[in-house]
Amino acid sequence: MINRTIQPPIQKIEEVSFVSPINHPISENVSLFHMNKVSNETTRFDLYFDAGKIRTSGGIAGFVNGLILSGTKDKTSIEINEAINGLGGFYDSGVSAENAVLSMYALKENMIPLFDILIDAISNVIFDEKEVDEFINDSRQRQKINSEKVSYLAQKNFQKILFENEKAYATTLEVEDYDKLEKEDLVSFHANHYLKGLRKVVVVGDIDQQSIAHIIDKCRPIISKKEHSFSDKIQNKAEELRVPKKDAIQSAIRIGRTLFNKNHPDYLDFLILNTILGDYFGSRLMSNIREDKGYTYGIGSMLSELEKTGYFMIATEVGHEVKDLTIKEIKFEINRLQTELVKDDELALVQNYMLGQLLKSADGPYAMMDLFLSVEMYDKELEFYNLAIAAIQNITAKRIQDLAKQYLNWNEMSVVIAG
Amino acid sequence: MKINYERFILENGLTVLFHKDITTPMAVVNTLYNVGARDESEDQTGFAHLFEHLMFGGSVNIPEFDTPLQLAGGENNAFTSNDITNYYDVVPKQNIETVLWLESDRMLSLAFTDKSLEVQRSVVIEEFKQRYLNQPYGDVWLELRPLAYKVHPYKWATIGKELSHIENATMEDVKAFFKKFYCPANAIIAIAGNFELEEIKQLVTKWYSSIPAGTKNSRNLPIEPPQNEYREKTINRKVPADAFYYAFKMKDRLHDDFYPSDTLSDVLGRDNSSRLYVSLKKNKQLVSSIGAYILGTIEDGLLVISGKLNDGVTFEQVDQALWDELSTIKKSLITDAELNRNMTKFRTSKEFQDQGILNKAMNLSMYELLGDASMINSEKDNYLNISPKEIQAVANSIFQKTNCSLLKIKAQNND
Repeated sequence: MINRTIQPPIQKIEEVSFVSPINHPISENVSLFHMNKVSNETTRFDLYFDAGKIRTSGGIAGFVNGLILSGTKDKTSIEINEAINGLGGFYDSGVSAENAVLSMYALKENMIPLFDILIDAISNVIFDEKEVDEFINDSRQRQKINSEKVSYLAQKNFQKILFENEKAYATTLEVEDYDKLEKEDLVSFHANHYLKGLRKVVVVGDIDQQSIAHIIDKCRPIISKKEHSFSDKIQNKAEELRVPKKDAIQSAIRIGRTLFNKNHPDYLDFLILNTILGDYFGSRLMSNIREDKGYTYGIGSMLSELEKTGYFMIATEVGHEVKDLTIKEIKFEINRLQTELVKDDELALVQNYMLGQLLKSADGPYAMMDLFLSVEMYDKELEFYNLAIAAIQNITAKRIQDLAKQYLNWNEMSVVIAG
Repeated sequence: MKINYERFILENGLTVLFHKDITTPMAVVNTLYNVGARDESEDQTGFAHLFEHLMFGGSVNIPEFDTPLQLAGGENNAFTSNDITNYYDVVPKQNIETVLWLESDRMLSLAFTDKSLEVQRSVVIEEFKQRYLNQPYGDVWLELRPLAYKVHPYKWATIGKELSHIENATMEDVKAFFKKFYCPANAIIAIAGNFELEEIKQLVTKWYSSIPAGTKNSRNLPIEPPQNEYREKTINRKVPADAFYYAFKMKDRLHDDFYPSDTLSDVLGRDNSSRLYVSLKKNKQLVSSIGAYILGTIEDGLLVISGKLNDGVTFEQVDQALWDELSTIKKSLITDAELNRNMTKFRTSKEFQDQGILNKAMNLSMYELLGDASMINSEKDNYLNISPKEIQAVANSIFQKTNCSLLKIKAQNND
C-alpha cells in the first residue's frame, strides 16, 4: 500500500538554460533582435517606437497608435486589413506611458509580405478624416464603458497620486480629450515619433538571413537617431483617496508607491518579498483575504517597471461592505512582514516556487525572447537571470524583514478606494 | 505537424493520454472531469463551478493542495464550463510525481471541511459580483441563455442562475456531487513532457490504480425542442451604449454542420475584414463594434452576433442591415478569396495553438471526451476541406427568424 500522506521527493532547480537572440545592429542606438530557434512555422515581429503617452498630452499617442492601419493615399483601411487578414496575419498594437509597439503574428511563409504591408501603412498613413472620426467615436464609447468599472476608476485615480509630480505619466483620458483633438496633432506626432522614432525591432521565427537583411533595410529610414529621455524623479504622493460610485456592489482598491526597477541593487530581493506578500496563489494576501476571509475573488501585488524607475502596487476588488476590513488586513499583513521573520518552510516554498516559475518563463522561444526584452531594456544580458537564481537561493528571512521595513511603510503609500 | 500521443486505460477505467515533447523542461498534467453546469439540477445551479473551488480545499490525505505543488515549483488552475470541469498543473518535469500524488488524492476523496465550504462560497459570490453584476454588460449571459434555451440546462450560466443557489449549498450536496462525478471512470488525464511512456505508465499506475472506479456519468438531459419562434427581449441597464445579441441555434460539436457553421461565423464577424464589420461598421457606420462567434458547446449550441450601436442609431436600423447581410450570405456563395482568407487565418491560429504542452494536453483530453484524441490531428482537414456550398447550406438552416433569440440592452440615463 502506498503512503498517501507523504509528498514524493522533490528535486530543486539548480539551473535554467538561457538562449540569447542574435543582435543585428541597425545603427548605433537601434538593433534588431532575432530569436531563430523555433521548431514550427510560427513567427512574430514587434516594432518598438519612441511614441509613448508621455511624449504628448491628451491621448494623441494612443490615437496615433490605434490609427496606424487607417489608410494611405493608395489604400483604404479596409484594403490594408484585407491584405493582412488574407495573409493570415494577427496584428496587435499597444501604447504605454513610455513606449509604443506594433506586432504581427504570422506563419513563416507570410511574414515578409506582412512586414512590407505594415511598413507601408506606418510610413504613409494619412489620418483620413472619416477614419479619425470613427476611431474617436469608438474610443469615446469604450472610455464611457470603462468609466463604469470600479477597477478603472481606482486605477485612474491611483495614477494621479502615484505620478503626482510627473503628470505626463498619468495616462488615462478625460472625456474632453476626445473633443479637443486636431488632425494636425496626429500628423505631427506621427512624423516625429513614428517616421523617425523606431527604437527596436524584434523577430521570433525560423527566418533566413536574407529576410532579416530585408527587414533591416526597410526599417532604416524610420529609425530614431536621438537619445530618449525618461523621468527618473517620479515620487508618489502618500495619501488616501476615496472615490465614491453610486450602486457599486464591489469596491476596487489600489495601494502602492514609487520604487525602482532592475537597475536597483535591492530589486531581486524585493521581488522575493513581493512574491511572499502577494504574487502567487499561496501568498500572504491571498491566504488571508481570499482563502481565510472570502472577501475577494482575487488579490495581488506587483512591481511594475519603467525605464528609469518603477512602482509597487497592491490591487483587488472586494465586496463593498468589507472594503475597510480588507484595508485593515492588508495593513496587518504588511506589518507582520516588518515585525516577524518569515519561517523556514514558507521561505523554502517561495524559493522553489520562484525557481519553477523562472524555468517556465524560459520555456520556448517566445518566452525566452520576452525574458530577454525585459532585461535588454535595462542594458543587461540574460546573465541577470543567473543572478536572480542566486538571489532566490541565498535570500534570508532577516533580509526580507529589512526590505519590508525599508520599502513597505504604510505612511509612504498612496491608497485609492473606488466604489 | 502531427501531434504524437499514446493512450492507456487503467483497470478502474481511468483514461490516460501521454504526449512526449522533448523540447521543454516543464511537464503538464491535465485532468478533465466529465461534469459541467449542464449536470446540475435547476434548483442548484452554479454547483459544478463552486465544486471546482472546493477541489483546492484539501483532500483526504493531504491538508492543502497548493502548498506541496508550489514547493515542487509548480502552479495550477482550473475552469468550469457548461460541459466539463478541467484542472491543470504545470511543474518542472523532475517533480511530476508530486502532481500525480496530489491529483490522485483529490480524485480519491476530498477533506470536506466546513471552513473550506464557507470560504469558497464567499469567494464564488464575490466572483459572481465581480464578473457578472458589477460590470457594464456583465449580466448578458444570465439573460441570453434562458431566452435561447427553454428546457436544456444550457439555459443557465456556469456561475449559476442566482446567488441564492450558491448561498444555500450544503455539505451533503457537496459530498453527493463528488461521489457521483469525481471518479476514474468519469475522468481523462493527459500528461505532456519529456518522459518515456513506461515511466508515465508506472507512475500513473502507482498513484491511481487503487482508486475505486465509480461510474461514468450517463446523462439523460432534457432535450431542447425545436425553437420555431422568434424571441426578443429588451432589458434596461445603466450602460453607456445600446447593445445587441442575436443568438441562433446551431448543431452540436460532432455534427457535420459544426465546422461550416464555425467558418460561417468567421466569415461574418471574425475580424476587421469580415462581412458584418465592413458593412455595418465601416460602410454604414451603424455600430461601434460587431462580431460573430460560436459557443462551441458539445450539445446543440449557439452562433452569436453581437455589437454596440453608435449614438443616434436605432435597433431597427441595425436589424435591417444585419438581416440584409444574412440574406445575402444565404443567397450567394462566398468568394474563393473570402474562403482562402479565413483558411489562412485558421491555419495560422492553429499553428500557434499547437505549440506549448499545456494547450496540447488540454486539447488531447477534450478530443478524447468527444470520442477520440486523434481528432487533434484530423480536425484541421475538417476545416480546410469546407466548401462555399456547405457554408451556404448551414447559413440557410441557421439564419431563420424563427431560429433567433435577440437580446437588446437599452442604455438608461445614469441619473
